[in-house]
Amino acid sequence: MEIKIKGLTRNYYSDGRLIKALDRVDLTIPANQIFTLLGPSGCGKTTLLRCIVGLESPDEGEIIIGDEIVWSREKNIFVPPENRGLGMVFQTYAIWPHMNVFENVAYPLTTRKLAKDEVRAKVTKALKFVQLEGFETRPATKLSGGQQQRVALARALVAEPKVILFDEPLSNLDAKLREETRKELRHFLTELQITAVYVTHDRIEALALSDQVAIMRSGRIVEIGDPKQVYFNSGNQFVADFIGRANLIKGRITSVNGQYAVIDTEIGPIRGLNSQKLECDTAAALCVRPEFISLADKPVGEGDNIFRGRMETLVFIGEAYEGDIRVGDQLFTTTVSPTVQIVEGNEVSISFNPDHCFLLPVAEDS
Amino acid sequence: MIRKPTLTTTLIIIVGFLTVCPVVMLLFGSFSEGFGTFGTFTTAKYVEAYTDPALFEILWNTVIFTFGSAVLATGLALFLAYMNTRTNIPFKGLFGVISIVPMMIPHILFAVSWVLLLNPSNGILNRLLMDVLQLKAAPFNVYSLSGMILVEGLLDLPIAYLIIAPAMSAFDIALEESSKVCGASTLRTLMRVTLPVLRPAILASAILVVVRSLASFAVPSVVGMPGRIYVLATHIYRSISTGFSADYGKAAALGMSALAASITLIYLYRYLTAESGKFVTISSRGFKPTLIDLKGRRYPLFAVVGLISFVLIVLPVVVLFYTSLVPYSMVPSAKAFSMMSFRHWADVLKDPISVLSLKNSLTLGVFGATLGVALAILIAYVIVKVRTPAAGALESLSFLSFSFPGIVIGVGFMWFFVRTPLYSTMWALLIGYIATYLPYGIRPLSSAFIQIHSHLEESSRVCGASPFQTLRRIVIPLLIPGIVSGWILMATMFLRELTLSVVLSRPGTEVLAVQILRFAEDGLWGKLSALGIIMIGISSTLVLGVTYLGKRLSKVAIVDR
Repeated sequence: MEIKIKGLTRNYYSDGRLIKALDRVDLTIPANQIFTLLGPSGCGKTTLLRCIVGLESPDEGEIIIGDEIVWSREKNIFVPPENRGLGMVFQTYAIWPHMNVFENVAYPLTTRKLAKDEVRAKVTKALKFVQLEGFETRPATKLSGGQQQRVALARALVAEPKVILFDEPLSNLDAKLREETRKELRHFLTELQITAVYVTHDRIEALALSDQVAIMRSGRIVEIGDPKQVYFNSGNQFVADFIGRANLIKGRITSVNGQYAVIDTEIGPIRGLNSQKLECDTAAALCVRPEFISLADKPVGEGDNIFRGRMETLVFIGEAYEGDIRVGDQLFTTTVSPTVQIVEGNEVSISFNPDHCFLLPVAEDS
Repeated sequence: MIRKPTLTTTLIIIVGFLTVCPVVMLLFGSFSEGFGTFGTFTTAKYVEAYTDPALFEILWNTVIFTFGSAVLATGLALFLAYMNTRTNIPFKGLFGVISIVPMMIPHILFAVSWVLLLNPSNGILNRLLMDVLQLKAAPFNVYSLSGMILVEGLLDLPIAYLIIAPAMSAFDIALEESSKVCGASTLRTLMRVTLPVLRPAILASAILVVVRSLASFAVPSVVGMPGRIYVLATHIYRSISTGFSADYGKAAALGMSALAASITLIYLYRYLTAESGKFVTISSRGFKPTLIDLKGRRYPLFAVVGLISFVLIVLPVVVLFYTSLVPYSMVPSAKAFSMMSFRHWADVLKDPISVLSLKNSLTLGVFGATLGVALAILIAYVIVKVRTPAAGALESLSFLSFSFPGIVIGVGFMWFFVRTPLYSTMWALLIGYIATYLPYGIRPLSSAFIQIHSHLEESSRVCGASPFQTLRRIVIPLLIPGIVSGWILMATMFLRELTLSVVLSRPGTEVLAVQILRFAEDGLWGKLSALGIIMIGISSTLVLGVTYLGKRLSKVAIVDR
C-alpha cells in the first residue's frame, strides 16, 4: 500500500530553541517495497516514522496511507494509531514482560476480538514464519535478543497489516547477530510482498535491505534512490559521503563529453561520469570509492585518471589493508589487498576507471 | 491526546485542595479568635502563644529531641549500612529485615513497650536490675529527654538506613581504593574519603529524621508527657485537649512555626538529595567492591547488629504480648507465668469503644488505601508520563504534604471541617489521611511507571488497542508490584495513624492508635497491650495477604527494560 506524505512539518522547542525535526517533507513510499529512511541521529527519521504510525502528531501537512487520509491539519483529521491498521517493530522490541510469547503475538488479534481458534491458527502461522514454533508458552523475559526481535516481528505481522514499520530494529543486537538477522529480515520481507518502512542510521543495513533509500538530513529528505543509484551516482555531496567511504576531490568542470565530463583539480584533470548533467565551467567534486582505486608499484602507461603518489599510512584491518596515498595535497583512501607487497613510504601509481567515479555539484565557494 | 490536560488539571485541583486547604485554613485560623469568629482578623493568638514564658523551654526541648534523634538514628544507620555493604559480617539477610519489619510495628506501641521496660516505678528492666544489683532506686528513667531521644532515634533508624544504604552501595569503590594506594589506612580512608563523599546522604538522612521527630507525636505523648517534658507537638496538643477550653486559634498560631520549620527542612532535604546525585559518583561497572575482612571482630560486631535488630523488632512485641497476659506489671517470674490469662484480651474485645476503633481503623485502612492508591496511580502517571509544566506543578504539590507535621495539619483540617458537614465523620479522617500520606503512595507507583518503557504502551496502540485497552491490558498488569507496595504502605500507615487522628477523631470515630493513647494515659497497660497485639496482627495479615495477592495477579514482578 502506497504512503503519501505532503508538506509534513514538525517542530520541537528545546531550551527555548526551535528545532525543525521535519521541515516540509514530501515523500511517496511505493507499495510493496522495502523503503529505508537513512540518516545521522537527529535528522528526523524516527519522527517521520512516528508520524506515519500515529504516535506523534505533525504541525503541518498531510499523511495518506493507501487511499485513507490518516492525518491532515487542513482537514482536521487524526486517525489514532490503533485505527491505522499498521504493524511496527520498536527499537526496544517492546515485548510485554507480563505475557508469554503466544500472548504477545496474539495481542493484535485479541484486541480485535477474533475467535479463539482463528487466533490460535494465525499466531501459529506467524510464529512458524519467524521460526519460533514451540516457543508459545515461553515467558517473554526468557528470550534472547534475537528471539525477542522475531517475536516483535511476528506480532507486527500477525494481523496482516497494510504496512509494517521498523524503528532501528537491529541496533540492540550484537554485530554478528545483526548481520544474520538482517539477511533473515530481507528474506521475510521479500517473501511477504508488503510495504515496509525501515528507519536506520546504519548505511550497510540500508543498502543491504532496501529497494529504495531516502537519505535525511536536518528534517529534510536530501536524496531518494535505489541502493546502487545512491552509492554510485549520488547527486549530493553529503549523501555520497554518508552512504559509504568516499574520496572527494574538488575542482571545476572543463569539458563535457556525452555521459562523461572532465574536472580540473589540484592534482590534474580527472574524467568521470557526469550523471548529474553538470554544465561546463561549474564547480564540482569528483567522488571515487576506495574499492575502485587500483594500485601498482611501478609507473603504468598513459591514460585517464592515473596518478603517482606515496603510500603514507597502511593499516591492517583484517580482510584488507586500508591505505592513505598522498598525491600532491590530496589524500586518497584505498582498500589494499593483503597480498600486495607495498609498505609505507613506497612510491605507487593509482588509477581508477572513469566509469567508476562520478561528479557531484558543489556550492561555488565551499 | 485531548484528555491529558483535563486529567492533569483535575488532579491539580484535587491535590491542591488536599494540601493547600489545611495550610490556608491553618493560616486563617491562626489569625482568628475561635471557630465562631472565623474570618475576623486578630493577632491575639500569636501574642498569646509566643509570649508564653514556658515556650522557650519547649522549643529548646524540641531542638534537643529532634537533633538528638537525628544523630542517634543516622549514626546507627551509618554503622549498619557500612557493615552490610563493606564488610564480610555474617547473616546479611538480617539487614533487609531491619529496614522493613520495624515499619510494621506502630510507633505508639514501640514507645509504649519502652515505657513498660524502663519506667521508673515498675519498668520491667528497671525492676530486674534493681533485684539483680540490689539497687534502691530505678537505674533508668524513660520519662526524660534522653529516653525520648532513645525511642525516637530507634524508631527512625529504618528510614535513615534506607537513605544511607543505597548511597553507600552506589559509592564508587575506586575512590576508596585510590586512597589506599596512596598509603592511607582503612580508618583514615573511612574518615577522609568515604564519609566526606557520603556527606549529602548523611545530611539528608539527618534532616529527614529531624522532620519526622518534629512531627512525631507518639513518643512525646507516651514518653514525654508523663515526665512533663513538652515539645512543640505535645504543646500544640495540650492547647486543644485540655478540658472545655480547647484553643484552636493558639494551636494554629503555634502550628505555623512547626509547619514553616518543617517545609524549610524538606526543601533543604530535596536540595541535598538532588545535589547528592552529582556528588556521589555512581559506578555502573558491575563488579562488587572488595569486602573488608573483619577477622576476629566479625562475630562481636554481628552481636551488636543482632542486638539492634532484637531491640527494634522482637523486644517490643514480646514485651507487649507478655504485658497483655499478666494481670498487672510484674517482673517475669514463675509467679507471673502462673497468673497469666487472656483476661485483658477478653476485656478489650468486650469494650465497645475498642471494638469500634478496631472497626473504624480497619475500614479506613482498607477503603482509604484503595482510594489513595487509585489517586496515586493517576498522579504518578501524570508526573512520569505526561511531563508538561503542569505535571511538574502537580509533582511539587503532591510532595508538599511530605513535610506536614500530622498534628499541625490536623489542626488546619479541623478549622476546615467544623465549617462543613464532614465534621466528626469518618470522611474527615479519610480526607486527612489521604492528604497527609499521599506521597507514600505516589513514590512506589512513580517508580513503577518509570520502569514501563513508553514503547510498551505505544506498541499496544499500534497493535490496535485503544488507550483504555492499553491501560487495562498493559499498564495496569505491569503496575501491580507498585500498586501492591503503595497499597501496603498506605494501609499500614492508616491503620496505625495517630498524630492526625488525635485532633480529628471524635466520639463515634475513634481509631486504634487514639484508643491506645487513651489506655496509656489511663495506665491500662494490659488492655493496651492486648489491643496493640491485635493491631500488629491485623497489620501483618494485611501485608502478607496483599503481597500474596499481588504475586498471583502479576506473573512477572519486575519489568525488564
